[in-house]
Amino acid sequence: MTMEEIFKTMQGLIAEQFALEDDEVTMDSSFTDDLGADSVDLVELVMAMEEEFDIGEIAEEDLTDLKTVGDCVRYLSGKLSD
Amino acid sequence: MRIIIDAMGGDNAPLEIVKGALSGQKRWGMDVTLTGDTVAILKALESCGVKELPKGMEIANTTETVEMCDDPATVFRRKKDTSMGVALQMLRDGKGDAVVSAGSTGALLTGATLIVKRVRGIRRAAMAPVIPTTTTGRAVLIDCGANAECTPEYLVQFAYLGSFYAKRVLGLDNPRVGLLNIGAEDSKGTELQKEALCWLRQAGEEGHLNFIGNIEAKEAIKGGCDVIVTDGFSGNIMLKSIEGTGSLAGSAVKSIFKKNLLTKLAAAIVMPGLNAFRAMMDPNKVGGTAFIGISKPVIKAHGSSNAEAIENAMGQAKQFAESGLIADIENNVELMKVEKEEFTK
Repeated sequence: MTMEEIFKTMQGLIAEQFALEDDEVTMDSSFTDDLGADSVDLVELVMAMEEEFDIGEIAEEDLTDLKTVGDCVRYLSGKLSD
Repeated sequence: MRIIIDAMGGDNAPLEIVKGALSGQKRWGMDVTLTGDTVAILKALESCGVKELPKGMEIANTTETVEMCDDPATVFRRKKDTSMGVALQMLRDGKGDAVVSAGSTGALLTGATLIVKRVRGIRRAAMAPVIPTTTTGRAVLIDCGANAECTPEYLVQFAYLGSFYAKRVLGLDNPRVGLLNIGAEDSKGTELQKEALCWLRQAGEEGHLNFIGNIEAKEAIKGGCDVIVTDGFSGNIMLKSIEGTGSLAGSAVKSIFKKNLLTKLAAAIVMPGLNAFRAMMDPNKVGGTAFIGISKPVIKAHGSSNAEAIENAMGQAKQFAESGLIADIENNVELMKVEKEEFTK
């Protein structure tokens, strides 16, 4: 998958979870500052990512680095190309 | 109907949970799955004089328990085989019709959200206990602590969720919905209440809700509305204040009646009424609190539940599962959407 494709899929997942329009989700969107996510939202999103991209369980130490949509897209791109 | 019960959750698990499951199974005529440590559950059954699993009762063995010190947000990723997590997975997978747990509230809510999932379009599940009121007898308080911080959209959704609950579970035709506030006037409250009020008024004008406006706590307790909408922080304070006031009133009445022989005789005469009042305030008689907004019924029994509380929570779970409430929420979720940019109006 290309970065663009990963972003589009993430955009859909996030828009669905946070009840937003797709175009409100950008690479720079911060989960906590821009989307108002709490800890449950973040775990819910991570579980949705694991399922959607079939990447197994994301390690807890990796989660702390996933602060923006762009962080997730780059992380997934790396995982999918492994 | 099969109810899945977290046998290891709560201060008195597994003995009181198992005892409650046995009496609940008989009383409500339902099948039961107990999740937890098989050895501990069988031992508890034995303590109740039951040597073999009764017909319709099953055990799903698990090796872990959600502890109060576990982080609710991550416990189900860290512990894969908890009695609570497995109960929720079984509910998700259609192996039962409802879950009852007396375990950690935060973990149960998070688990229900992550494993069973919310109804599509519902932003947050809420806890909605039924509280006693003076004139009408009862009202739904939503939310009572699941969501300490709320947006106007959450409150609008809670109003619908509470209204459907009052219709389907309490059997009220046209429940009156009030927004908990520090005064009845539209200008009262923080931005949260003011914005929510606009949206709720609109929903009322469009005929989707029987919204009566802001309501003060004292008026709500008098029966001024059937659904009290609030954020979880304020709702929890209101709930605990009611519990505390009930306890204070109980102690005061007791000391009055204990004064002398005459007052003791008077107490004997009014005892049935006093017992009925005590029952109204007794959490074991109520059973539990429903999580509204989750796609399947999940009932939180209070942490110190005894067998009676579990039995009553099972009855609540049955009523919830049969009520059609979740279908109502699914069919009306479009009404509950709020355009965020218009909040600034």
